[in-house]
Amino acid sequence: MHSNCCQCRFKSSRVQQNGLSRRDFFARVGDGVYGAALAYMLGGDLLFPNPAMAAAGHRKVYDLKPRSSHFEPKAKAVIQLFMAGGPSQVDLFDPKPLLEKYAGKPPSRELANDILFISASGGFMPSPFTFAKHGQSGMEISELMPYLAKHVDDIALIRSMFTTSFTHGPGTSLMHTGAGLHGRPTMGAWTTYALGSVNQNLPAYVVLAEPPGLPTTENWSCGWLPPVYQGTRLRAEGAPIPNLKSPEDVPETVLKSERALLRRLADSHRDQRPGHADLEARIANYELAARMQLSATDALDVSKESEETREMYGFNEEVTASYGRSCLMARRLVEQGVRFVQVFIKHGIWDTHSALETALRDCCNRTDKPVGALLTDLKQRGLLDSTLIVWGGEFGRLPLSQLNPEDKEAGRDHGPTGFSVWLAGGGIRGGTVYGATDDIGYKAVENRVSVPDFHATILHQLGLDHEKLVYNHNGLDERLTGVEPARIVKEILA
Amino acid sequence: MTQRNSRPSVLGFKELLVLAVLFASFSTFEHSHGQSAEAEGKDAPIFERDVLPILEQNCLKCHGEKVRKGDLDQRRVSLLLKGGERGPALVKGSAEDSLLFQLISEGSMPPNKEPKLSEAEIDLIRRWIDSGALADGKTEDHPGDVAQVTEREVLETILRVKCIVCHGKRIQEAGFSLRTREDLLTGGESGPAVVPGKPDESLLLKRIDNGHPTNELQNEYFVRAITSEEIEKLRQWIVSGAPPMPSEVVAREWDETLAMGRGEDSLVSEEDRKFWSFQPPQRPPAPEVDHKESVRTPIDAFLLKKMEAKGLKFSPEAERVVLMRRAYLDLTGLPPEPREVEAYLKDDSSDAYEQLIDRLLASPHYGERWGQHWLDAAGYADSEGGVGGDHPREHAYRYRDYVIRSLNADKPYDQFLLEQMAGDELFDYKVLENPTSDQIDSLVATGFLRMTPDSTYSHDVNFIPDRLNVVADMVEMFSSSVMGMTMACARCHNHKFDPIPQRDYYRFSAIFRTAYDPYDWLLPKALGGGFQKRQPPQRFLSIEGWKVEEKNAPVQEEIQALEKDLEKKAGPLREHLFEEKLAQLPEAVREDLRKASETPEENRGALEKYLVERFMPSLLHAEIEELKERSEDFRQEADKLQAAIEEAKKKLEPEPKIRALYDMGGEPTSTYVLKRGEPFKLGAMVLPGVPSVLSERITPYEVNKPPWTTDTSGRRLALARWLTQDNHPLTGRVMINRIWQHHFQKGLVATPGNFGHTGLRPSHPQLLDWMTTEFVRQGWSIKAMHKLIMTSAAYRQSSQIDQSSMEADPDNELLSRFPLRRMDAETIRDSMLKVAGRLDSQLFGPPDDVVVKADGEVEESRPPGKSSRRSIYVQHRRSTPLTLLEAFDFPRVVPNCLMRRESNVSTQALQLMNDDRIRETSRFFAGRVMDAVGSIVENQVDRVYLAALSRPPAPEEKKLGVEAIEDFTQHWLKEIEKEVPPEPMQSKARWLALASLCHTVLNSPDFIYID
Repeated sequence: MHSNCCQCRFKSSRVQQNGLSRRDFFARVGDGVYGAALAYMLGGDLLFPNPAMAAAGHRKVYDLKPRSSHFEPKAKAVIQLFMAGGPSQVDLFDPKPLLEKYAGKPPSRELANDILFISASGGFMPSPFTFAKHGQSGMEISELMPYLAKHVDDIALIRSMFTTSFTHGPGTSLMHTGAGLHGRPTMGAWTTYALGSVNQNLPAYVVLAEPPGLPTTENWSCGWLPPVYQGTRLRAEGAPIPNLKSPEDVPETVLKSERALLRRLADSHRDQRPGHADLEARIANYELAARMQLSATDALDVSKESEETREMYGFNEEVTASYGRSCLMARRLVEQGVRFVQVFIKHGIWDTHSALETALRDCCNRTDKPVGALLTDLKQRGLLDSTLIVWGGEFGRLPLSQLNPEDKEAGRDHGPTGFSVWLAGGGIRGGTVYGATDDIGYKAVENRVSVPDFHATILHQLGLDHEKLVYNHNGLDERLTGVEPARIVKEILA
Repeated sequence: MTQRNSRPSVLGFKELLVLAVLFASFSTFEHSHGQSAEAEGKDAPIFERDVLPILEQNCLKCHGEKVRKGDLDQRRVSLLLKGGERGPALVKGSAEDSLLFQLISEGSMPPNKEPKLSEAEIDLIRRWIDSGALADGKTEDHPGDVAQVTEREVLETILRVKCIVCHGKRIQEAGFSLRTREDLLTGGESGPAVVPGKPDESLLLKRIDNGHPTNELQNEYFVRAITSEEIEKLRQWIVSGAPPMPSEVVAREWDETLAMGRGEDSLVSEEDRKFWSFQPPQRPPAPEVDHKESVRTPIDAFLLKKMEAKGLKFSPEAERVVLMRRAYLDLTGLPPEPREVEAYLKDDSSDAYEQLIDRLLASPHYGERWGQHWLDAAGYADSEGGVGGDHPREHAYRYRDYVIRSLNADKPYDQFLLEQMAGDELFDYKVLENPTSDQIDSLVATGFLRMTPDSTYSHDVNFIPDRLNVVADMVEMFSSSVMGMTMACARCHNHKFDPIPQRDYYRFSAIFRTAYDPYDWLLPKALGGGFQKRQPPQRFLSIEGWKVEEKNAPVQEEIQALEKDLEKKAGPLREHLFEEKLAQLPEAVREDLRKASETPEENRGALEKYLVERFMPSLLHAEIEELKERSEDFRQEADKLQAAIEEAKKKLEPEPKIRALYDMGGEPTSTYVLKRGEPFKLGAMVLPGVPSVLSERITPYEVNKPPWTTDTSGRRLALARWLTQDNHPLTGRVMINRIWQHHFQKGLVATPGNFGHTGLRPSHPQLLDWMTTEFVRQGWSIKAMHKLIMTSAAYRQSSQIDQSSMEADPDNELLSRFPLRRMDAETIRDSMLKVAGRLDSQLFGPPDDVVVKADGEVEESRPPGKSSRRSIYVQHRRSTPLTLLEAFDFPRVVPNCLMRRESNVSTQALQLMNDDRIRETSRFFAGRVMDAVGSIVENQVDRVYLAALSRPPAPEEKKLGVEAIEDFTQHWLKEIEKEVPPEPMQSKARWLALASLCHTVLNSPDFIYID
């Protein structure tokens, strides 16, 4: 009912008071009082995890050190290829020949009632694209995605996703955080909170976006998780992180002297205040900030790749160059141990309200080749097994046509009740088609997969039990998948 | 809403049905509750014969006549259909959708270690449900319970949801209302809406069948179209004679409603009421301690008592300058000016510190600092929230200013709460001609209840469930911030840990129903989008007596005089131009047009009107600009006058609108318990009330209609009176805890929003109660509490950790030292600006805008060279807080924030080291230092320390600073010499070198941490 109510599961905080003694805590992070500070040297965040622990005298370290999962993971990293706007399932993944028969016919009153904001919609519209079977699995894929078609035996296609929001803002937020409102942590934040990162010189959770594709911040936010789990946006050009470099008008010699002076002031401040671990931590953070500049720049330097690789990702064609760059960067980051990479596409391009045929063709032309290259590249480097690729948008589209007075060619309006997403690598059973929509591709009816199910499955591949991955916020044990039961879609797992 | 959590299921009956009807042109919906083919088999199970015995054996113990756990009674099919707290237990024809089957088949019922049902029994129940849940009716001896469609269902779940927006209290289109059965029978201009027993003659059905309300209406009225299923229900009810609810049922339920939360109660026991925070505070005597000499106030005695038990005592008093800086930053959020530091150091009177506290409490900046603490708790923002939109929330700042003003005036906390909860019910504001500023303030105060995220101005999110979410956020904000209760937990079910039954949640919500009625909604701002035909009512209050017109009158006169002057100067030129233009027109129209232009508008004939409309605009309009083109002399004069007019217009007071919450008068729609929190699953009706666990030794909540000439229910006024009684168990404690928390970093109760069972117990319960009673005794004066706390030995301690304190009190639980703290977000930004002489300290008014730069950084938009305002006056957008503030844990309020994090991450280092604005601020800082003390480097270092750290540098710091400036200067010189600049190179290098020192000091922990 209300997704922000996780009160139901909130356990007595007294359990936590007793669960961790002060001795345990210091034993975990090092020796003595400076142990906490040592933890920082790896780029951490020390704060009161919750009032209960604070009051009980336990401080907890929130850092990015690698942590073990609940059970043996299949995937070590996730690349989420988010397809903003809502890709049309009946034109890409979910062929519905019956639509031919009803082409142009208006929907029944019941269907019309079921659809929200139907006023601008017309009759049923069959797909203008043809489908063919591919690979050993014989998975049917639209003619628009020839590169993906070569990988069908690596992907598991879910045709029965559904969501509960029919508008972009809340729908997108729902897909990333499990709730259509501000302020909750995203899947990437939860993942890094749970697992940390093996690379301490790079952010653990990276956001890549082609301009102007960066969605509003709630889609890469840590919500009420500690800020160390916030997604870090790396830019393709210029300084990859805001404020990573000093203003250019200050000479390097001055900066160097400033840093030296600051270090002396900070050391002396700390020495006069023994026992305050935060102070050592803060010094460490300034050191880390300096290291990050080099690592982040290097990680994103795609010029180091071979010409062959660059061609494969589509660098040589204008239409694919931008998305290809994002996909290649994603691979480089995962290769260097980044835990979670969210790749955002140019703002809402899949939102094909009009001129469906040309609009969808454009979307696929931009993305199909780079996505195919990413799968090929990860596979040949042996990274696909440990990297989970997730492809999908915030919803799908209606099997009806939408024809606004000012448009010449029809498109399709939003369809939250049934749509397709796919996953690959990271323990996914390739060549799987799971679930089904009804005969017209309107509503998921068989093996329905909800957003929490989808999230639970992704966490499961990372070795995480979505019911155990909790964070105590305002006295409540919150989790990504919310209050209601969520199911792991085991049928798509290897 | 309900869909969100719908369980994934295999192709169910409903889906099949949807498919079946998708293409068919159907006329009736009879089969929607029909039976599947299997049902027609002869062996279909029968409830009484086959199922009831299983239930009797396994379930009725807890879900029967006497015990009805989860409000569920399973003795009859009708009762299973009715269901309990979690909704219907049975859906005929679909075991998959029936809660009964779901729970027994997954083994969660019977619960825990009770024996589970056998496979055969489960299978039998599945077959029974799937075959239509047949019954022989022998158990149905309560005909009132089994009526197919009840009056209540029709009125509350169909007509109230879909029709009363046009045929209700506020609007009665076609002259009728559909709120009651009587309304339906009476009807309107075209006759009765319902003729019992005669569906074909009932206009209600006819109109709806005609497609009214249609899908198109939802954009205008936020009503979903009526479904075939609902039409069928209406038809059935009319066919069965449109019966009213049986009077005995109504009477029984009314009795239940009245009895709720009163007297003996199976949901809230006497034992429950004994919990510490539900008992009124008792004033304990201050304890006896060994080290009496360390006790400055009774607070110290309570703290010391616990410390002494561990062999501890207070740390030594902090150094004078340390204490001064602490007090400044704590009370005003700004560091002292250098001259204030110097004056304080020279002041050797024995009560210099106490005088300092008094001065700071009297500072207007005190309200800005402590106002922000309250605004966090209230969830204040200058934007509406809502994903994607997050539009600015106009006029909200008046509430922010009210909070600052009230705190500065030390408005007693009970009064402060009273105004915020029921400012509109305190006086008869609707008929008041000349409200005082205090009265206007009490209306503004109700903005407190309007502060939560609310995007119901948008077409997508203004349906009943969205509105209920807004109310729920408000209840959550209110109960957590004022009462320290996690009331939100009881929205969907009884609270799992605290004695708050679900019904108490809805009784509490009902208090606000007269102002926040989901069925009679006031929009937070004008509806966007532009394609609606109707603009629904908004919630702003306009105060006629605000006297804006009066205040603006002289300015308006000034403007008019200027305009007249301009017109006078333009006159001759205009006449000339008119003639000139006229000459270009066809001769035939010239004279007529001249005549028409000279005729007053009301006397013009049709032809004249036509001529004027056709030709005049080109002859007369926009001519000042045109005239300027023609005469240079006129241009100069006109420019001057136009500039003066613009200047004068700026002096006009803004539109007098208040984002208030007010009683809308009249009867609101009834409030019901919503089963599982679902918007249309109505349980029992409730009346306004407060949590029944809070009833010991306090005056009960009682609604009395205020005696005003205009209608107001008095519901919130009663809440305010109930909450502000002197011995209320929570009101005083929660506020004292908040004050304590902001002084000492952690509350006496470390879970400020949760004083319940899952919250933490107070670390010093006696101290909390002593403080609370003292608070009341001192007339709820917040400033008195600051003084009491800040003059205590506890507050005056050093933050140094010594060996004994480290060992016996490692986490400072006993407060054996003052906590070392990092500045919070606003203090960092405001202090830097202040130190650099860049702070515009003007109070109040509309917030300064923020801009999101291309790289996602959020900055305030500020014209170059203009000073910045304090953070509290920079627009608080929920989605885009200032990047600098966010890096230092400025909260995103969803719906509010009761305790900020204090994080320590490397992005903070990047922000302070490399942000352009901070670099710029450092250069201003250096400039002001040179203005103040000239070019002698030693003096500059002194001044930098005094301004930024409120103390002179230690000798080694001074040496270090002087050396650094010399070193920086050499580097800068080399850089500057690469190109020959217009400025003198030496002094430019010295200025930039000093700026480097300033930048380093602003980055240093000495600045960021408060000892």
